[in-house]
Amino acid sequence: MWQALHAEIAPRGGAVVTVALDVLADRAAPWVEAAAPSHPSVLDASHLTDELLGFVNVPMAVWVDEHGRIVRPAERASIDPPPPDAPLPEGLPERLGRMMVEVRKIPRDGPVYRAAILDWVARGADSPYALSPDTVVARSAERPEAHARAAACFELGHALFQRGGTEAAAPWWREAHRSHPENWTYKRQAWTLVTTTDGQPSDLIQGPNDVYEGNWLDDVVAGGGGDRYYPERVL
Amino acid sequence: MLLDSLAVDAEAFAARTGWEAKPEGLCRGEVCVPAPGAVRADGHLDVTIVAERLGMPLVHDDVYGLWALGPAAGGRTLASADAPELTLPLVDGSGSWSLSSMRGRRTILVAWASW
Repeated sequence: MWQALHAEIAPRGGAVVTVALDVLADRAAPWVEAAAPSHPSVLDASHLTDELLGFVNVPMAVWVDEHGRIVRPAERASIDPPPPDAPLPEGLPERLGRMMVEVRKIPRDGPVYRAAILDWVARGADSPYALSPDTVVARSAERPEAHARAAACFELGHALFQRGGTEAAAPWWREAHRSHPENWTYKRQAWTLVTTTDGQPSDLIQGPNDVYEGNWLDDVVAGGGGDRYYPERVL
Repeated sequence: MLLDSLAVDAEAFAARTGWEAKPEGLCRGEVCVPAPGAVRADGHLDVTIVAERLGMPLVHDDVYGLWALGPAAGGRTLASADAPELTLPLVDGSGSWSLSSMRGRRTILVAWASW
């Protein structure tokens, strides 16, 4: 999807850059190889862009104009058309079925966001989607002490993961999760590197595990459900 | 910012955080915070003082002897609309990329993940 958008906007002076928030490069690489992007595709193993730009989930995006100025801060950024609203398949495992219910609550307005991107690429500062500098700053996320601490804890955990694996990283990643529970990149990243209590690869459904306190479904429900899975976006 | 001691090179600190050591204190843009004692005799910054003056959380792992200094707390994630310099490796390992290389193009920077 992003490669197709890049191909469409590149002749008009636009560009897509994808940032993989992946501790392990070899997990991101096959996806990139399959997409064969003509745009830059970079790796952010320590989730530095969370700290600098405010990403808290994926996909999220920041728009940067031709002068290096941010014109839209980090926001939900799916551009996919919504899937058909078919009934859930029968016989799904109970937990997976509940997950699907929450997933379907996530706003599915990808074409609207895609159209906004196209408008901005075409019209630049004249686009109503290009925000003033003051509005960009005002709409960027607040950073209380707990969130700043979470960023430090996640980065330290990443460094320790490289040295001692999950055992070394987990105390700091748990602290990052507790300090900034709305940051799903910290949580999903950590969950996907451990197995679930029933021995399943955690990156399948990111279910309960013995290392971290949370899991995808219970944390989504605790946060208010799938419709609050991303920060609110105002186009 | 990952640290293996409580002294940090001032240029590296500025590149990561945007805060520069100046005679009037630690400054980012037009904002300066007095920080007496922050610049050591060897020219490095005393991380403990910097953290306290700028409200940056400092965490330490005793086993591995590493520290991490978080971003300044309070305010918003973006201190200004000027995009920070950002340099990251390409996923295919063929080199690195910098956000500043995109000047002249309207760029959508998209975060995704394999998980």
